[in-house]
Amino acid sequence: MIDGRQRHPAPAAALLFLYARSFVNRARSQAARIRSPRYIVAVVLGVLYLYWALFRNTQANGPSLTQLLRADTTVVLVSTLVLLSSARWWLFGADRSVLAFTPSEVQFLFPAPISRRGLVHTKLLRMQLAIFVNTIVFSVIFRGNAGELATWERALGWWLLFSTLSMHRVGASIVRASAVEHGRAGWRRVLVPGIIFAGLVGAVVFGIVTAIPDLRDAGDGGIAVVMRTLTDALQSPIPAAALFPVRLLIDPIVRAGTPAWSVALLWGTLIALGHYLWLVRLDSAFEEAALEATQHRAARLERFRASQMGQARSRKGTLVAVPALALHGRPEVAIAWKNVAAALRGGAWKTQLITFVVGLTALALITRQASPRAGDAFMGVAIGWGAMLLFIGPLWMRFDLRLDLPRLAVLKTYPLDGWRIVAAEIAAVTVLHSITIWALLLVPVVMFLQDPGLLVQSGATVPMLVSVMVGVPAFNALMFTIQNGTALLFPAWVRLGTESRGFETMGQNLLTTAATTLVAAVALVFPVGAGALVLWLANDWGGWSVLAATTLAATIIAVELWPVLRWLGTVFEQTDVNEVAAAP
Amino acid sequence: MIDVSGYTKLYGDTVAVQSLSFQVAPGDVLGLVGPNGAGKTTTLRALAGILQPTSGCIAVDGIDLQRDPVAAKARLAFIPDEPQLFDYLTVTEHLQFVARLYGVPDAAPQIPLLLEELELSGKRDALPPELSRGMKQKLAIACGLLHRPAALLLDEPLTGLDPVGIRRMKETITARAREGTAVILSSHLLHLVEELCTRLLVIRRGQMVALGTIADIVAERPELAGRTLEEIFIALTGDTASTDLSAA
Repeated sequence: MIDGRQRHPAPAAALLFLYARSFVNRARSQAARIRSPRYIVAVVLGVLYLYWALFRNTQANGPSLTQLLRADTTVVLVSTLVLLSSARWWLFGADRSVLAFTPSEVQFLFPAPISRRGLVHTKLLRMQLAIFVNTIVFSVIFRGNAGELATWERALGWWLLFSTLSMHRVGASIVRASAVEHGRAGWRRVLVPGIIFAGLVGAVVFGIVTAIPDLRDAGDGGIAVVMRTLTDALQSPIPAAALFPVRLLIDPIVRAGTPAWSVALLWGTLIALGHYLWLVRLDSAFEEAALEATQHRAARLERFRASQMGQARSRKGTLVAVPALALHGRPEVAIAWKNVAAALRGGAWKTQLITFVVGLTALALITRQASPRAGDAFMGVAIGWGAMLLFIGPLWMRFDLRLDLPRLAVLKTYPLDGWRIVAAEIAAVTVLHSITIWALLLVPVVMFLQDPGLLVQSGATVPMLVSVMVGVPAFNALMFTIQNGTALLFPAWVRLGTESRGFETMGQNLLTTAATTLVAAVALVFPVGAGALVLWLANDWGGWSVLAATTLAATIIAVELWPVLRWLGTVFEQTDVNEVAAAP
Repeated sequence: MIDVSGYTKLYGDTVAVQSLSFQVAPGDVLGLVGPNGAGKTTTLRALAGILQPTSGCIAVDGIDLQRDPVAAKARLAFIPDEPQLFDYLTVTEHLQFVARLYGVPDAAPQIPLLLEELELSGKRDALPPELSRGMKQKLAIACGLLHRPAALLLDEPLTGLDPVGIRRMKETITARAREGTAVILSSHLLHLVEELCTRLLVIRRGQMVALGTIADIVAERPELAGRTLEEIFIALTGDTASTDLSAA
């Protein structure tokens, strides 16, 4: 037996070693992937963009976003949202996963001679990775005007805000976990912050309730007037006092001019420091809660993997039906069919579509009956939804190569050319997502059915609707091809399969989204240009020429996609399965 | 049926497999054995058309896998050590999918027979996440057998199977070989290799160290006479120290 006196546990050093080595090894494995020329090009472009965005682009695009960030409405609404989030953690409990550790951390750290404070520090240290990435992303998005606030100054503000919120969330979770563990005595600890946050929320609600008559009047003036009235209501003394501590945290991001920023930063730092001291001095036992949260997360992940979102079967155990596959015919259809089955069972696509259709129809009926103006407003909302779905849908709907690439070894054994496999993988999601967007056409159709005279009056509407029918599949095919192409070219950087990579990849996801949007914009130059030329030549911007222009644009997109698919097929055939398997 | 000539696979400067040459005739069951990291899976993946060889030639049923991969793959079946199934397709739907993919003319009557053979009939409507490891393995094998491949490549096919499943799987493999399928089987279970395989290909660090029946191998290395297959394996694949130890 080893004499206990000979032991010199150094948990802090061990933890630092763990995270430092993990970081270095992860970076090394990422760097190993960069040996591929396409990764080198992408990394160089990404680094140049970040450098330009953070340190060089202090003027370009600054004023509009800076103005948006510093607008009273933004500041007040963000403060309110932050306050409500924090209150939710106290009143209803934070997401238990905030206390969760990885299974390997539980295995090694929990039985080790590490104090509770050490475990809290471990949690904080791990959170910094996500905070750091998000700070960079938000700093890039809201890069400001150098004359007023340097990018690094604002970045510091973001870091302070994210860090404080994270610490508050962890602290609230620990106190609530302790309350659950210690019964009545524990709940007394939650009582004081609970009452404080209930009071703060009550103050905000009071401000909004007293402004309801003004808000009702403002409704006639449009959304801008409503927002202004809401902002004024939240700036009245009582809600403003409730929001004051949150405003202090947000000030380092929005406060213009370095001297004012320094003062704001000082206050923000004091609040963050207070949170840190509170957190490390918490003597509540949270290991059990953390362990439970870890097991809960593991179980949830397992359920997620096992049942693929739990939607493949109904509660009664009935399997979601998929269209029958004919056993003979073109083999590509089998791959597309497989993806349709995945969308129906894994994504509950049919249920979502039916809900969408019923909801749209009901809202179209209700709003049109309420008043023509309300009907028009809902039409505007539907168009906005459509536009959003066109761009965001291909990111969400991943029943294509992004789902299948982890099984690349199996896909490569199929007796099909690579480009056929790639095309079949993309085809199903393109069709399904087009149907989803087509469903939005129900809104004008329902309104026409209610008021047939409207159809006669709006001569441009029918050509527009038919053009949407034609244009949407081509656009979707382009967007899904870009998403699948990105997954094929950079499998190490794209979320593959059904697993979520977690919070820390949010920044990476945003950057890849920005890159794919850029590619889409380039790919659309010719189709949109040609379509616009047709409209210009016909001098008809609202009639059937729109259909001709859309058809031409869709054809050009198809012509563009043909060589791209052939090329992606070659990439598919040449992609090493180990490269995909090694992706984290 | 399977003709491998000078197959080499490099990863940068690392040699995964070097100058491997062998043939597998119809009805032949070749046992691919070697220590961990010897290059067995890399070899099987190359034979399945998943990995591109750095050099060398692989032909299946006389078709060059590099020149006409689609035709060659239509005659192949590769069953990996870890079953790779689609989470949203049921057991039957997996077979329907494969039938369409490979253009199996008599799939409709074949599917229930195959389910019966592999004891999957009771699970025909189950999704892969609802199956045990062994059932998943059986389904992967069923998918591989449906199109009656001329060459069957099995990577650790008995992993996760219970004793009854192992016996049934051995019967399935030998039945396919009797029907004229060329089988390559990679496994660490030497007693299985000894029982099922007509010949052995022993590789170590990506290089072939022995090829032939056990009698052929012993004839080339008379010092191995009278040894068990396990001892022969250790002698062929171990380093000098372990070889001496096993010989002692």
